[in-house]
Amino acid sequence: MPASKAAKKAPQDGTYGLPEATLMGLYEYLMTTRMVDERFRKLYRQGRFAGTYYSAVGQEATTVGPTYGLRDEDIIAPSHRELGAAITKGIPLVEIFAHNFARRNSPDKGKTHPCHYSSRAKGVMVAASTLAGQTVVGTGCAMAFKIMKKDNIVISFFGEGATSRGGWHEALNFAGIHKLPALYICQNNFWAESVPSTLQAGIEDFSDRAKAYGFPGITIDGNDIFLVHKISNEAITRARTGEGPTLIECKTYRYYGHSEIDPADYRRDEEIEVWKKKDPIPRAEKILLDIGLLTMEKRESLVERINQEIEDAIAVCEKEEYYPPEEAYNDVYSDQFPVRREEY
Amino acid sequence: MKTVSFIQAINEALFEEMERDERVFLIGQDIGIYGGVFKATKGLLDKFGPLRVIDAPISEVYIAGGSVGAAMVGLKPVPEIQFADFITPSMDQIIQQAAKMRYRSGGQWTSPMTLRVCCGGEVGGGPYHSQTNEQWFFSQPGLIVVLPSTPYDAKGLLKAAIRGDDPVIFFEHKKLYRMIKGEIPDEDYTVPIGKAAVRKEGKDITLVAYGLMYHKCLQAVETLEKEGLSCELIDMRTLLPWDRETILESVKKTSRAVLVQENTKTGGVMAEVAATIMEEVFDYLDAPVQRVCGLDVPNAPFAPPMEHFFLPNAEKIARVARKVMEF
Repeated sequence: MPASKAAKKAPQDGTYGLPEATLMGLYEYLMTTRMVDERFRKLYRQGRFAGTYYSAVGQEATTVGPTYGLRDEDIIAPSHRELGAAITKGIPLVEIFAHNFARRNSPDKGKTHPCHYSSRAKGVMVAASTLAGQTVVGTGCAMAFKIMKKDNIVISFFGEGATSRGGWHEALNFAGIHKLPALYICQNNFWAESVPSTLQAGIEDFSDRAKAYGFPGITIDGNDIFLVHKISNEAITRARTGEGPTLIECKTYRYYGHSEIDPADYRRDEEIEVWKKKDPIPRAEKILLDIGLLTMEKRESLVERINQEIEDAIAVCEKEEYYPPEEAYNDVYSDQFPVRREEY
Repeated sequence: MKTVSFIQAINEALFEEMERDERVFLIGQDIGIYGGVFKATKGLLDKFGPLRVIDAPISEVYIAGGSVGAAMVGLKPVPEIQFADFITPSMDQIIQQAAKMRYRSGGQWTSPMTLRVCCGGEVGGGPYHSQTNEQWFFSQPGLIVVLPSTPYDAKGLLKAAIRGDDPVIFFEHKKLYRMIKGEIPDEDYTVPIGKAAVRKEGKDITLVAYGLMYHKCLQAVETLEKEGLSCELIDMRTLLPWDRETILESVKKTSRAVLVQENTKTGGVMAEVAATIMEEVFDYLDAPVQRVCGLDVPNAPFAPPMEHFFLPNAEKIARVARKVMEF
């Protein structure tokens, strides 16, 4: 469609012409992700689960937006700040909480790193902490879909810092050669743990990297959930129809430290305040209130419902047992090769 | 039965498994149009087309990691790393992804793939075309590590690896590709992973080896037998998980063992075998277990006399065996 015609048709109310059900759906997942995330931070500080926790508060729109509306067979290749993708892809809240609590009802049986939510049933692969590793694996899933002539797609999520990894470049290079059904979402939150993006790359827009691999790259406002969804959806349609991959850089911000033990004192308070004014939730709410899709009463009852779901999930998980420690011997190989038991 | 070279056995296994199961596909450098630098994949592109025989860019990270992803969603990848020397870039994907996928996902996700890796010295390859580095993978549970020494085993083990449900690092010793010929059946067969082969029974001493070193042991055994020694010779074939039972039973019988590996000595496969013999059958031993290994230097040196000096050979093995007998 010519640009002029598209501009005429698109409404100027911030909805980009998305259907009402999609607008409300996106908003609900955005809200759920924020509330679960803040609840996890509290639980961690209360010592109710071990290890660490990686909050994604502030950058939820970048994970919820692209994931909303995917099929179970589509694959998410996540990093460690993709709570929003995990929830939006359909992993039940009980499993989300069970994962960080490392209880019996966690899909990974308590064996992997915190915040590495996974579900075979829902097409969320388990992450690894060697960043961009999942981008390589996810690209392999996309290669398989092409070989099998299936029209499923793969979304790989990563921060701007991970784009410095060699494997990331190998993956995007391969995806470009073979026009794989892949979408690459770069969440540029300007800080890779403590290293600013200016020390990460000599470019301002990380989407520029796509040029080198022969497919489109675009930089967008990552705190506009409706825009993120619209742009991703267009890229997903291209991927499904054999037109190849897209790199979307979502500029966004994480409000807290890299993990809960990081005070993030490498950043200036003013910088955080600027970004808080661009928070994705009030922005979405204003648009929905303006068009009359949301009312304050509806908002309240939604918050109440999500709160209830969260507390119910926590109650289930905290009652759940850990696996017996001997479970450590399982899932090393297929049943053909049981691991030898040691006697100490 | 028919007689084939090691490389023909590999080529046949790939051809037959691709024909048998459309989920099997190949990816690697120079494997398509060129048919592989050693011609292991010759003719496969013509037969199966570019979707199933993929000429990869120079991207070892992707060759390994992309295969993990393809395996996760239902294919049976058989990626190739052209030389074991070039496997280092893909270590992250092999160790953090392939080996740990089943475990860290609690059994939800698996990555059954067969990573073919051409390895080995005595070919004048110098530092970057003659490494054996199976010991890096040997210490990583979650991986299967195979290193066959005969055409029969190469074909049977490769088929078993491809049909299996686990990630396999399948080493092929390049010196054996054309040096060794052997008989294989005309009909389909597999060789079980995890089982060593007792190549020759004997009562005085056990020799354990794999790959090219199995053939070195075979030469040593010829000499030693002429001297009146009865040697038992075991070819490990699978290094991880290795066949404890066969080796321990043999040592219980002979009470003496010499362990031979091409790789550098420290932290190698035979260190583990030796430690296990000591832990499990110490009472049966009549002499300390001895190892004959590559020297503890960074790599096999290039100059032929130095490479020869670096590697174990039949003379070194025979000398160490005699010492063990004299203990």
